[in-house]
Amino acid sequence: MRELTCLGARSRFPWARPTEGVFMKSRGFAILALLGALLGLVFALTSTLDYASHLDRRLHDVTCSFIPGAAATGEAEACRTAMYSPYAALLRDSYWGGIPISLFAVGAFCFFAGFAIYLAVAGQAAPRRAVLLFAGTGVTPALVSIGMFVISATRLGTFCKTCVGIYIASFVLAVAALLGLATLSAKHATDRPRPPGSLWLVLALLPALAALTLLPAVVYASAAPDHRPYLASCGELKQQPREKDQLLSVRGQSAVKPALFFEDPLCPTCKAFHARLKGEGVLSRLDIKLALFPLDPSCNWMLDTPLHPGACTLSKAVICGGERSLEVLEWAYDEQERLGAAGKSGEDVLKGAITQRWGADMGKCVDSPKTKARLNAHLHFAVDNAVPVSTPQVYLDKKRICDEDTDIGLRYTLKHLAPEVIR
Amino acid sequence: MNPRIVAPLAGAAVAALLVLGSTLWVRGHVASAEQRLLTPEAEKPQVAVAADAEVKYCTPRFKQVLERVLHSCGLATEARRGCKPADVKTFASISDDDFNELFHPLKDRGGVVMFDVGKEDLDKGAKELLSERFTDRKGARYFFVVARASKTGTPQKNRALSHRRANSIMYSLKELANDPEIEKKVGLLWLGNEFAQLSKEYCAWPNSRPTEKCDEDAINRTAFVSWIDCRL
Repeated sequence: MRELTCLGARSRFPWARPTEGVFMKSRGFAILALLGALLGLVFALTSTLDYASHLDRRLHDVTCSFIPGAAATGEAEACRTAMYSPYAALLRDSYWGGIPISLFAVGAFCFFAGFAIYLAVAGQAAPRRAVLLFAGTGVTPALVSIGMFVISATRLGTFCKTCVGIYIASFVLAVAALLGLATLSAKHATDRPRPPGSLWLVLALLPALAALTLLPAVVYASAAPDHRPYLASCGELKQQPREKDQLLSVRGQSAVKPALFFEDPLCPTCKAFHARLKGEGVLSRLDIKLALFPLDPSCNWMLDTPLHPGACTLSKAVICGGERSLEVLEWAYDEQERLGAAGKSGEDVLKGAITQRWGADMGKCVDSPKTKARLNAHLHFAVDNAVPVSTPQVYLDKKRICDEDTDIGLRYTLKHLAPEVIR
Repeated sequence: MNPRIVAPLAGAAVAALLVLGSTLWVRGHVASAEQRLLTPEAEKPQVAVAADAEVKYCTPRFKQVLERVLHSCGLATEARRGCKPADVKTFASISDDDFNELFHPLKDRGGVVMFDVGKEDLDKGAKELLSERFTDRKGARYFFVVARASKTGTPQKNRALSHRRANSIMYSLKELANDPEIEKKVGLLWLGNEFAQLSKEYCAWPNSRPTEKCDEDAINRTAFVSWIDCRL
């Protein structure tokens, strides 16, 4: 056994079978990196396939789990928020939904899996430059993940489990890549140092990384269906807003385009849509007529069951906001979870929350018959236009923007229907 | 096998297989999404459309009478405005009692605006009741005004009086509503003393003079007003 160890460790032939200790020292990091890359590939592929499914403009469940390959589910709000956000894809002006960034991760993880296999098989025979290159490039997914983590925390306010899976895989890969540097140390190299390797190796591997990272995205872009015929195919407004409808006016600072929104302050989709518009920088470019459409039967006769109890009271608060109605609406979105719970607890609890934030005068205004009548006028405006009982709804130039075009296809749709609002 | 040869080949092969496999898988997903896009959904989920309210009292009989009122009293056409007693008798094709019975479900939804003898002016209580009831529109599209006059005096005089009462309500509504289309929403009927007089039991209905004595004469010097929560 001792002889074998010596033979393995000290052989003149680098491809001779090393001992287990040396094997793990020279290959362990590569095996760990392979695990990280494969894990990342599974998560990135899952995310990409979910994204691609939505190209049919229909509603789909989304996978949102730390378990690789877990089934899609309807309860995946965090992952849906991430998917619909402006940060989920590139080139969203040019392609409906854009090119999901997870596609680049798919290509990159494939590259790192192959690179890790190479390092694992080559063992101590792998050149120093390859290990250095692996360390240098292997941390890039982790760096991107840090950026996406910060965006999730600061912009989206939620963490998608599938995305977190990619972050974890990226960190495993980064740690493994950095551990590889340890195999270059003098102490490790005493038995048999790694060959330096050719510069050509670096020059060949970097384009390979670029090519593999881009290949899935290029194929996706070339195959993505043309959505132009479907834009604005979701009906038209029958009646432009009139004075008697008493809709709210929310004019952006640099408004260039009139728009009409139907929104509910307790609707999570409205909140997400509002955030997307802000994120895209579009909100300030719109001159919005806002019709409140609370999905709450306490004022909305079109519903039998309360989808958002308390939405009527909050809608009245938005009306009472007057020139600050947008501020009140955004407050309702920011505090949606708390206000939704207050709405379920009862009218008084919710009114308490409103007066606590906006003062007693707001409370009086919410209770006034005039405000009630104005909200009622908004709902009758919806009836006059026979709009679907759903929120949010957006109309540009009388044309209704399809629901599917208000999420992942938002930027593409705006580019085609209202290019002036895209900066 | 020399790992300097095997290793790069293995690495390149694995990377190539993985990237090609993944790319083709994604490509397949995109293609099937495109196929679904081109093939309309067989059973597209139905989305409810915003519409006027339709509550339980909107029975076919109730709606039939109201439809006739709508068409005969000018709401559905531009030709004329309001209905006089003779018209109501003809188009309603319904007995006095049955006509009044139809409005029973509206007891709490509507209100009885009371007038002085021989007058059509709205007092403060009348204006408040009218404003309160008109503001509480909910999902209704049509507002009905059914004006009456007591049996005191000639039918001709009472016909004219109930007409003035109906117009008085309409005038007040125009001030309240600030709506150019108000006339399309309000159905006016003036019954004089010839059709569907109210019995004393209607004194128990919400009215604009709750503290005053109410008898059969007083309850017919009125205009019943209410939103109608039916799709007509």
